[in-house]
Amino acid sequence: MHEAHPDTRVILVAERDGTVRELQRYFLEAAGFAVEFADDGEAALERARALRPALVVTEILIPRLDGLALCRRLREDPRTAHVPVIVFSILAAAARAGEAGASAFLRKPLVESIFMAAVQELVAARPTEAMEEQWTTQ
Amino acid sequence: MDHAVIPDRRAAFKDAPEDLVERMSVGNAEADYILGGGFPENSINIIMGHPGSGKTIFAEQLIFHNASDQRPILYFTTLSEPLAKVVRYLQGFRFFDEMKLGTQVIYEDVGPQLAKDGAPALIPLLQNAIRTLSPKIIVIDSFKAVHDLAPSVAERRRMVYEMTALLTAYGTTAFLLGEYTEEDILLYPEFAVADGIVELSRRRLGNRDERYFRVYKLRGSRYLEGAHAFRITDSGLDIYPRLVSPRMPEGYEPASERISTGVQGLDEMLDGGLWRGTTTLLAGPSGAGKTTIGLQFALEGARQGEPSLYMNFQENPTQLMRTIRGLGVDLEQAQAQGLDLVYASPVELQIDSIIVDMFRRIQQRGVRRLVIDALGDLASAATDPQRLHDYLYALVQHFAVSTITSVLNFETAGNTISGNGLGMQNPMSYLSDNVLLLTVEGKERTRRMLRVLKTRGSAHDTRVREVEISAAGLCVLE
Repeated sequence: MHEAHPDTRVILVAERDGTVRELQRYFLEAAGFAVEFADDGEAALERARALRPALVVTEILIPRLDGLALCRRLREDPRTAHVPVIVFSILAAAARAGEAGASAFLRKPLVESIFMAAVQELVAARPTEAMEEQWTTQ
Repeated sequence: MDHAVIPDRRAAFKDAPEDLVERMSVGNAEADYILGGGFPENSINIIMGHPGSGKTIFAEQLIFHNASDQRPILYFTTLSEPLAKVVRYLQGFRFFDEMKLGTQVIYEDVGPQLAKDGAPALIPLLQNAIRTLSPKIIVIDSFKAVHDLAPSVAERRRMVYEMTALLTAYGTTAFLLGEYTEEDILLYPEFAVADGIVELSRRRLGNRDERYFRVYKLRGSRYLEGAHAFRITDSGLDIYPRLVSPRMPEGYEPASERISTGVQGLDEMLDGGLWRGTTTLLAGPSGAGKTTIGLQFALEGARQGEPSLYMNFQENPTQLMRTIRGLGVDLEQAQAQGLDLVYASPVELQIDSIIVDMFRRIQQRGVRRLVIDALGDLASAATDPQRLHDYLYALVQHFAVSTITSVLNFETAGNTISGNGLGMQNPMSYLSDNVLLLTVEGKERTRRMLRVLKTRGSAHDTRVREVEISAAGLCVLE
């Protein structure tokens, strides 16, 4: 039995900047998503395993486990391997994000239209619950 | 199973060059040039200057240039200026586009709300604007005025901190306008967080004003330092970037071709004419024949099919045409062959605008010969000797690099090259490749004499030679 069914409307955000968080919460909630925040990479990994969110958005510069390491760990774990990840960072690290297995890289600052387009596209393309059930039990 | 179901966006990972800073054009080619391509996008910039210095016009030119259907531009006025007043003055400018107003460019008067709730009310106003409008550019005019509504320094700092956090988190380019002075840079916290600082200043010079555009700071960018003159026209700011010395291109070699001066006997004195690309200082008192030699040099160029520019600050166009016709020259034909006569009154102009206009003509027409008549007039159009010296030095370098052969007329007070009453000691002679001195002598009969004081790379005639001006022009007597 799973801790939780993959929640198609929850987005997990690993971000420490309060102003960025506020903007993300506002735009994501306005689009009908529920948002959960994590302060560091370890906490994000733990929440992702429990929640299996529709999407993870992470900054690279977060404590304990950086965003790129978080991305790799999510990919290695069958429970979260299929959760799309947006690396959303102040760093220009598109190539490194790609290597870490991110689904998309966006450079800060946040621009609503670009950010939300990436979120919607990745959530829409997310594997179905049944497919995930199948993969995780294999 | 790999995670191929997730759309492969790896192409997107290669798209973004990692250290490229996108630039926002200010809608003014010269300002973009000074700013190294424009303001960095998603930056916070301060446009400072006294009232009437042109801040608002600069900002308005910028926003109308950048207005598009995609994301609107927000202009907060904090001085309680009714929109009607803003628009009334805006309509006079050519960049104004009524169709963009209210949709692509949104003016909002936040003065009353700030007056009522204080400076901190700016933050929720900005938050709300970002959430509802997603503005690409935010202008706050005047930001300094917002400070006056903050009761304490601590509150000001908090407000600036919160605003910076918001404008940094969200992808927008901000312009904070204010009547700041240079001393304010150390006092106001916004200067510490600004990515770019531009000052517009105005200086009274006699009965005219000189305006200058200066970049104080532009993070992560190269920019053209110093004061750049500008005028306000119905197109907005007309900026004249300060002339700087060009870098000598690699493999630069002085031209190895001699060209005729068009003055009979002078080419022989110069060991076969002037080397192409050299600068010649032609000095002498009034009436010695400088203008005549300058004209002959330019006309000779036109005769040979070389575009020739004669920059004249001395005689008005009618006088000059008369002088040319007096030389027996068909002016229309000479102009068709490439002679460009330009008259500018130095009283009306700044040296910067004269030089920029000259370079535009040089580029447009591919000028090969140039005469400036006379340098002293340029000196009177320059506000300080150092600026003039820098200009002339850069000018000569530009001519050398582009192999433009130039003659710079210089009026002396008497028969010696030093001293002209304009404070130009040792004028230009060390910058010029060649120096010719005309003198006027004689008691019973005026005798004009010509002497080559210096040439670069020529075995010139060292004698003092008499010259004569006739209907055929000036010639060196045997």
